[in-house]
Amino acid sequence: MTTPTPSPASPASADTASLAVDMRSIVKAWPGVVANDHVNFEVRRGEIHALVGENGAGKTTLMNILYGLIRRDAGDIFVNGKLAHIQGPRDAIALGIGMVHQHFMLIPVLTVGENIVLGREPTTAGDIYDAARVRQEIGELSRRYGLTLNPDDKMGDLPVGLQQRAEIVKVLYRGAEILIMDEPTGVLTPQETTELFHVLRGLRAGGKTIIFISHKLKEVLDISDRITVMRRGKVVGHLITATTTEQEIARLMVGRDVLLRVDKAPANPGPVALAVEGLTAASDSNVPALRGVSFEVRQGEILGIAGVEGNGQSELIEVLAGTRKASSGRVLLGGKEITNLSARAIRSRGISHIPEDRRGAGLVLNYSVADNLVLGRQRSARFAWNGFVLMLNAILAWAKRLIAEFDIRTPTPETRARALSGGNQQKIIVAREMASEPLVLLASQPTRGVDIGAIEFIHRRIVAQRDHGVAVLLVSAELDEIRSLSDRIAVMYEGRIVSFEAAETPEERLGLLMTGGGRADAAASKVAG
Amino acid sequence: MATPSAPTTERTASADTPTPLSRVIAYLRPMGTPLGSVLFAFVVGAIVVVATRGNALLAYESLACGGFGIFCQNGENTALQLSNTLVFTTPLILTGLAVAVAFRAGLFNIGAEGQLVMGAIAAAVVGIKLGTWPALILLPSVLIAGTLAGAAYGGLAGVLKAVTGAHEVVTTIMLNYVALWASRYLIIGGPLQAPGAFNASPPVAAGAQLPRLVPLNNNLLFGLPQSVFTAYTGIFVSLFGAAIYFFIMRRTALGYEITAVGQSQRAARYAGISVRRTIVVTMLISGAFAGLAGAVVLSGLSHSLVDTYFQDTTGFDAIAVSLLGQNTAIGVVLAAILFGALHAGGQVMEADAQISHNLVFVLEALVLFSLAANFLRTFKFRLPAFGRSPTQPAELEAQDVVVGAADEPG
Amino acid sequence: MNALLIILGLFKSPDVYHSTLTYGTLLLLPALGGVISERSGVVNIAMEGMMLTGAFFAVVADLAWHNVWLAVLVAIIAGGFMALIHAVVSIRYHADQIVSGVAINIVAAGLTVFLLNQFYGVQEIGSVAPQFLIPNIKVPVLDAIPFIGPIFFEQNLVVYIAIILLVAINIILFRTRLGLRLRAVGEHPSAADTAGINVYTLRYGAVIASGLLSGLAGAFLSIGLSNTFVPNMTDGRGYIALAAMIFGKWTPLGAFAACLIFGLGQAIYDNTSIIPISPYFLSMLPYILTLVVLAGLVGRSIPPAADGIPYEPGNE
Repeated sequence: MTTPTPSPASPASADTASLAVDMRSIVKAWPGVVANDHVNFEVRRGEIHALVGENGAGKTTLMNILYGLIRRDAGDIFVNGKLAHIQGPRDAIALGIGMVHQHFMLIPVLTVGENIVLGREPTTAGDIYDAARVRQEIGELSRRYGLTLNPDDKMGDLPVGLQQRAEIVKVLYRGAEILIMDEPTGVLTPQETTELFHVLRGLRAGGKTIIFISHKLKEVLDISDRITVMRRGKVVGHLITATTTEQEIARLMVGRDVLLRVDKAPANPGPVALAVEGLTAASDSNVPALRGVSFEVRQGEILGIAGVEGNGQSELIEVLAGTRKASSGRVLLGGKEITNLSARAIRSRGISHIPEDRRGAGLVLNYSVADNLVLGRQRSARFAWNGFVLMLNAILAWAKRLIAEFDIRTPTPETRARALSGGNQQKIIVAREMASEPLVLLASQPTRGVDIGAIEFIHRRIVAQRDHGVAVLLVSAELDEIRSLSDRIAVMYEGRIVSFEAAETPEERLGLLMTGGGRADAAASKVAG
Repeated sequence: MATPSAPTTERTASADTPTPLSRVIAYLRPMGTPLGSVLFAFVVGAIVVVATRGNALLAYESLACGGFGIFCQNGENTALQLSNTLVFTTPLILTGLAVAVAFRAGLFNIGAEGQLVMGAIAAAVVGIKLGTWPALILLPSVLIAGTLAGAAYGGLAGVLKAVTGAHEVVTTIMLNYVALWASRYLIIGGPLQAPGAFNASPPVAAGAQLPRLVPLNNNLLFGLPQSVFTAYTGIFVSLFGAAIYFFIMRRTALGYEITAVGQSQRAARYAGISVRRTIVVTMLISGAFAGLAGAVVLSGLSHSLVDTYFQDTTGFDAIAVSLLGQNTAIGVVLAAILFGALHAGGQVMEADAQISHNLVFVLEALVLFSLAANFLRTFKFRLPAFGRSPTQPAELEAQDVVVGAADEPG
Repeated sequence: MNALLIILGLFKSPDVYHSTLTYGTLLLLPALGGVISERSGVVNIAMEGMMLTGAFFAVVADLAWHNVWLAVLVAIIAGGFMALIHAVVSIRYHADQIVSGVAINIVAAGLTVFLLNQFYGVQEIGSVAPQFLIPNIKVPVLDAIPFIGPIFFEQNLVVYIAIILLVAINIILFRTRLGLRLRAVGEHPSAADTAGINVYTLRYGAVIASGLLSGLAGAFLSIGLSNTFVPNMTDGRGYIALAAMIFGKWTPLGAFAACLIFGLGQAIYDNTSIIPISPYFLSMLPYILTLVVLAGLVGRSIPPAADGIPYEPGNE
């Protein structure tokens, strides 16, 4: 059964009683977009069922409906063969459904124990919180599922992997038989992912049903029994893991064969534009994020930084852009030191930055497209007389030019950026950062959450910048993107560049390097981590 | 999400060729929420009056009479009422701008009253101590002194916020009390007390006084001696202030940056804008407007520093003025006229309808509730988010409100 | 120097300690209200207005029914009603909580004088005096302890109640299930919601509780301490309570300690007739002190994470 069954799948294939979850013809529309369009979703008892799709395909919406966080517009939900009336999380919990959210639902200032029992706290007489019983019950759960945790630790002090473990224990404590895991590996290190999969298999052996949401196909193939694929709010395929391939899932997810090849001429690198020497920096939570990073980017070259998210890429870009301080090391732009200058100074020296958080950091969403197109350059001689009085006509003319040149689909230059699609919002940033004619372009996840058309456009533009002589530093979580755009690839792992590779390096080798393998000294770096 | 750009383009095909009607609607739309809020306030206010056995119709008629000289029952003089309204409106425009500029940066300046008092103190000191200077120099000095003192006082809250993170709401409340007690201290047994007065300073020199709109004598004007028309040229200072505000917010890189910080500190920081510096500069400007208000009232109306402890509410009314005016220059002026008229009308209401002028504060609070809660929901209107979560971008106004046009070029 | 000696001299008599405790308690009640409200995630700068409303309606009820207990009850309900408005506007309608708080304070200041006028025909300079007052209670035996007795055991009834409430609220907040849930709601409402806790119910309860406590404080002020209602008689005490709550790092005991410091300031101020410093100058000091402490609290006083952010489900 390698071909996808047509949607909607016939429910006759499985006997209804053996289904843990049976969602029928679920509809949910937001203003302007149908997130779930008559979705049918079946999960058998005791299986690990993967729900896959691109960002925005409607996976999380569907699961939030199942968990009662979002009201559906239409459709029925059956849990264990019975029609379920889910009005809120409380109803879902009562039905034995638990959800581990992508963004953890944990309270940093409370203890692990308090977090786990929240909502079902054991009490003694007079509503007094019974800490002793909490310890005892969590201890039991921990032992049964091999999930060691200290209930008295403060949640905020735990590493991400343990926080997720607490989330799982929290769900189990509520007596969940059906666990929804929303993109659980996005924040994990490879080791933590391995551990998580071990735990999930243990839970399955213990009779639990698991819904595993992901867009990482390798993981899906590794962990799941069956797969449901969503695209643009619809279910486009039901697959059996054992008999499918990565290519098949990818084709269903994207709707055509993905071949993110970018036509580009060989690079013609010039002198070194950006040099980084022994850079170290701390993360927001004040743990070392960069542990001595060194590399060079030449003019007319794209250096791609490959790595699992959370290995220091974000911090590296922030240090280079001037929004995070380096604790040691140097950054040189054209041979001149720019380490720890302000964001404004770095910008004015010719470093452009496409930030990874488009809506939060790249745009003022309530500003017009035109205003966003001058963000960061509002005091430049081009747009402001004496750096103070804005020249509105110049700004408007500039905006019109960039809107045409970068094909930004906006009704008018005065339209608010908020009203545009993700792809067009990203084009505003790309246009602004490229049009300032930088020496160095920092591009962080430049196509995340953007539609295919915009992806191709942005890719072409990045290559054009390179051909124009700009030094491009590209960070992306998408290995395909890194491989198709980069002239050289630097692999980042746990705050270090572990290897420089050629663009043609096979994906397998990069994958190995990204997860700390593939090098003679890999073992050493694991210990250091 | 996939590509919702198609419908967007479609919807705006007509917007590219605006009809005269659609233009008028576009101009009137931002007034929907404020006008609705005022209506809401008057309806609920009427219920309060009736519930306490008052005559709501009579109350509102006398309010209108006192504010605009219309619907008068007892032969009040229209010109006099308008003059009184102008007296209240003059400083309200400036304090309204003070609060508005802070709102633009996502800051809540509850301290306009304190900054106003500090401005008045500085203006009084200059106007009294340097009274021998020629008017041509003295009068500007008085106004500038008030502006600078207010700026310094507002800037203090800005520095506390930028450097130590102390929330401006709490610090400005505390600074209000400090200023009010300081002014009391100065004029009751302190260095500025006038000989023989209980709680007032001596008047400032004649050259330090803003002239009245009509000369102070007993010639008849609209059937009344000219001396009763207390409206003064401070209104021009206020309108000039509104023009400055308009210019800063709409035409300068500074205004662009202030609004950017208010909308999204993160985006501002990434764009190389110093958030701390912008906060301090905003509070300096905010305090400057409020301080100028204090100087204007002192120079044009009271002439000496008097005890205003909670009798004067100009700095607090400013919050309602700026919110009702949706933080735009024109809106603030219009809202200041409305509240000026309400305060002036309150006095007539007290005389004609025997209803305390404090009803005006009830109406003001109802306007605030209605604006903040957006009971009408016709238009989306949001205040800056004062939370600390950087993931929730602040929204000064939502798309529908064209107020944002003030930030848009062209 | 002379003034300082006179002030130091005050500390020899139990009176100043007695007054410190009395005034500290007056601030403690709204401060506790603030702690509860903000712990649930609703910023509350409206204790001032709720207290003022309570003070006014205590006198109204006192004069209407000639019963002090009824008067206290009415004051508490009046404070709670103002809080209910704040709750509806900021929880149900997701309003900005500071604007709502400002509006509550304005409406309280305006409405009390408006009603004073409507009910008694008094212009605002005037005042209305209640007939029956909340009694002072001497605790038998204990009040005979030298020095200590007069300080702790000859207080107004409300002082004893406030101390009991302080202990109770501290236990509820940090030792009970209810308290755990309240704190969870204020830190991370979605987490609480997904755990099946009703965020709205808890927030409503917490905000209304802050009004009940502030209303009681208002009654204490008008028919316990001052024996009169005058316009604006709270005179910023609700704001001082707010500051005390921040100093106390959003904990009941911390807030109480801060309230006692402010109470001491007021106790010293009571003796201005013998201190050769302008009383107006002295009046500035608590506010300056507040500013200095606020500035010095850099990064050490962190409010609940969701404080001030309206909760809209499914908006994660």
